[in-house]
Amino acid sequence: MKNLNSLLAGIFFAVAFPFGTLVISSQVQLGSLGPAPAEEGGPLFPSREPGLAIQGRAVYVSLGCVSCHTQQVRPAGQGSDIARGYGVRASVARDYVQQMPVLLGERRIGPDLANYGARVKGLDGVHAAIKHDGQFAFLYAGAKQEVASERAVALVAYLKSLRQDYSSPEAKLKQ
Amino acid sequence: MTQENRSGRPQGRPPEGDSRLTRTEVQLRGPFLLFFISSVIWLLAASVLGVIATLQQGSLVGGPFRDCEILTYGHVAAAQHNLFVYGWGFNAFFALNLWLLSQLGRFELRNGWLATLGGVFWNLALTYGVVQIFAGNQTGFALLEFPREVGPVLAVAFLLAGFWPIVAFARRPTGHTFASQWFVVGASFAFPLTYLLAQLLILWQPASGVVQAIAHSWFVSNLLHLWFGASALAAVYYFLPKVLARTISGYYLAPVAFWSFILFAGWTGPAALIGAPVPLWLQSVGVVAGAMLIIPVIITAINFHGTLSTEGGWSRAWNDTTLRFVTFGAVAFTIFGVLNAVFSFRSYNAVTRFTSFAAGQEQLLTYAFATMVLFGAAYFVLPRLTGSLWPSAKLVHVHFWATALGAVASIVALLVGGWENGKQLADASVSFQQIAQSTTVWNYVLSVSAVLLLVGHLAFALNAFGMILKSSAPASAGRHD
Repeated sequence: MKNLNSLLAGIFFAVAFPFGTLVISSQVQLGSLGPAPAEEGGPLFPSREPGLAIQGRAVYVSLGCVSCHTQQVRPAGQGSDIARGYGVRASVARDYVQQMPVLLGERRIGPDLANYGARVKGLDGVHAAIKHDGQFAFLYAGAKQEVASERAVALVAYLKSLRQDYSSPEAKLKQ
Repeated sequence: MTQENRSGRPQGRPPEGDSRLTRTEVQLRGPFLLFFISSVIWLLAASVLGVIATLQQGSLVGGPFRDCEILTYGHVAAAQHNLFVYGWGFNAFFALNLWLLSQLGRFELRNGWLATLGGVFWNLALTYGVVQIFAGNQTGFALLEFPREVGPVLAVAFLLAGFWPIVAFARRPTGHTFASQWFVVGASFAFPLTYLLAQLLILWQPASGVVQAIAHSWFVSNLLHLWFGASALAAVYYFLPKVLARTISGYYLAPVAFWSFILFAGWTGPAALIGAPVPLWLQSVGVVAGAMLIIPVIITAINFHGTLSTEGGWSRAWNDTTLRFVTFGAVAFTIFGVLNAVFSFRSYNAVTRFTSFAAGQEQLLTYAFATMVLFGAAYFVLPRLTGSLWPSAKLVHVHFWATALGAVASIVALLVGGWENGKQLADASVSFQQIAQSTTVWNYVLSVSAVLLLVGHLAFALNAFGMILKSSAPASAGRHD
C-alpha cells in the first residue's frame, strides 16, 4: 500500500485480468463464428443483409431506437420472451455475426425486435409502427404523412430483415 | 506542517487540517475552479435534459415534444446520460480527487496549466460529442455514444486533467498512506485503461458479434464502480473522520475493502447480460462477482456506520452540511451493494431484466451515493478555496431537501416501477399496451423527481456561483512555511 508501484500493479491486474478473461477469451471462443448451415448442405444462416437494411440500421442507431428496444430472445424459463411471440427459439451468438454494431439493448420500453421481420405482415404495418402514433412523423412527408422519406424506407428494410426464425447449429428448431 | 506526523498520528484518520488556505490549495485553486464550474454547468444541462427525457419517455401517450427529431427520446436520454457522467461526474471528481490527494500528500501542483489544458480539452470534446448526439451521430453503445473521434481526445484530456492525483501520491513526503489515497489512485489509473481498451474493441477495431456487447458490459461496470464508486468511497473515507474529528472504526479492515472492491468490481459486467446470447459461464462469473462485492460493502458499512454510531455521530452528521450529504451517500452505497448482490441472481434478474430496475441501481450509485458525496465535499472545500462563506443558508436547505427527496423518489420509482413492470412482462397474457398504461404512474413520479433534482441543482449552482463571484481571496493568502 505504501509502494506506488505495487499499488499500480495491483490495479492494473484488477483491470487487465477480467478484461482478458471476459473479453479476450470470449473473442477466442466466439470470434471465428460465421454463417453456417444447420445441417450439412443446407442454406447458410444468418444470411447477408441487404444493402438497404444496412442503411436502415444506421438510421436505427442515429435515432437512438436502442434506448427503448431490445433485440434478443431469452431462453424459455427466463422471462416470457418466447411465450410473448418475440421468437421461436432463444437467440444465439451466431445470429449476430453479420451485424455491425450489435444492438442487443438494455430496456424494453417498447417490444423486442429480434424477430420483427418474421412476425410483421405487410409494409403498411411497419410504417405505422415506425410513426409511433405521430412521434416519428418527421420521417414522413405529405398531409397525412403518407410519403415515406428515404430514411423511413431504409428503416423499414432493416426492420423487415430482423429475423432469427431459422435453424442454426446451436439452436435447432423443432420440426 | 509535519508535526502531526512526528507525533505519530493514529491510523485511520487524515492529518489535522488548518483552517487557513494552505499553499497546496493556492496552487490548485485555478484548475479546481475550472473543473468545478464546468461540472456544475453540465449538471444543470443534464438536469434540464433529464426533465425533458422523463416527459418524452411517456410520450407515446402524448408528450410535449411530439414529432421533434432533435428531442427524440433516443437523443435526449443519450445526451443526458453522457452529460451527467462525463460532464458532471468526471469534472467534479477531477476537482475533488486532485484536492484530496494534494491535501493528503502535501502536493504542490506546479504545472497547473497542464491540468487546466486537460480540462479545456475535456469540456470541448464533450460539447462536440453532445452536439453530435443531437445531430443523430451516435454509436448505439450506452456511455460510448459519442462518435469515435471523441474517444482519443477524451483519453488525452483525462491524462492531462485526471492523472495528477497519482503524481501527488508518488511525491508525498511521508511513507504513511490513507485509505482515500488508494481509492483515488485506483480510480485515476483504472479508468483510462478501461476507456482505451473499450474504445479499441467496440468502436475502432470492433470485436465480432456479441463480443462487442460483452466488452461494453465490462466497460460500463468498470466506469460505474471504479470511477464513481472508488472516487466517492475515497471522499467518504476522508470527510467522515475529518469532520467528526475521530478515527474510522475498524480501519484495519479498510485495505481488505479496497482490494476486494477493486478485484471484484471488474468482473461484475456480464451480470448485465443474463439471458443474452453470450456464453453461460460469463453470465455466472458476473453473478458471482456481484455477490462477492458484498465483502467491500460490508466492510465500508462497518467503517462508515461504525464511525457514525459512536458518541452521537449521526446527530452531529445531520447538523453539519458536509456530513449530512456525505452520510446520505454512505448509506446509499450500503443499500446499493446489498441490492446489487441480491438482484444479480438469475431468478430475480429474469424479472427485472429490461426494465428500469438497472437504471435505478445506477441512479443509486451515481446519484444517491457519488453525487451526494460530491455535494458534501463542495460544502467543505469551496469555502476554503474561495475564502468566503456560502451566501445563503436557505439555498443550502433547498439544495439538500430537493436533491434528497428527488433522489429517493426517482430511485423508488425506477426500482419498484421496474419490479412491477418486470412482473407484468413475465406474464405473457398481459399485453404491451396494458404494461405501458400501468407504468404511467411511475413516469409521473419520475417527472416530478426530475423537476425536484433540477430545483436542487439550481439552488446549489446559485449559491456556489454567487460565492465564487464574490470571493476576492488573493492568491497570496496562502501560508508560506
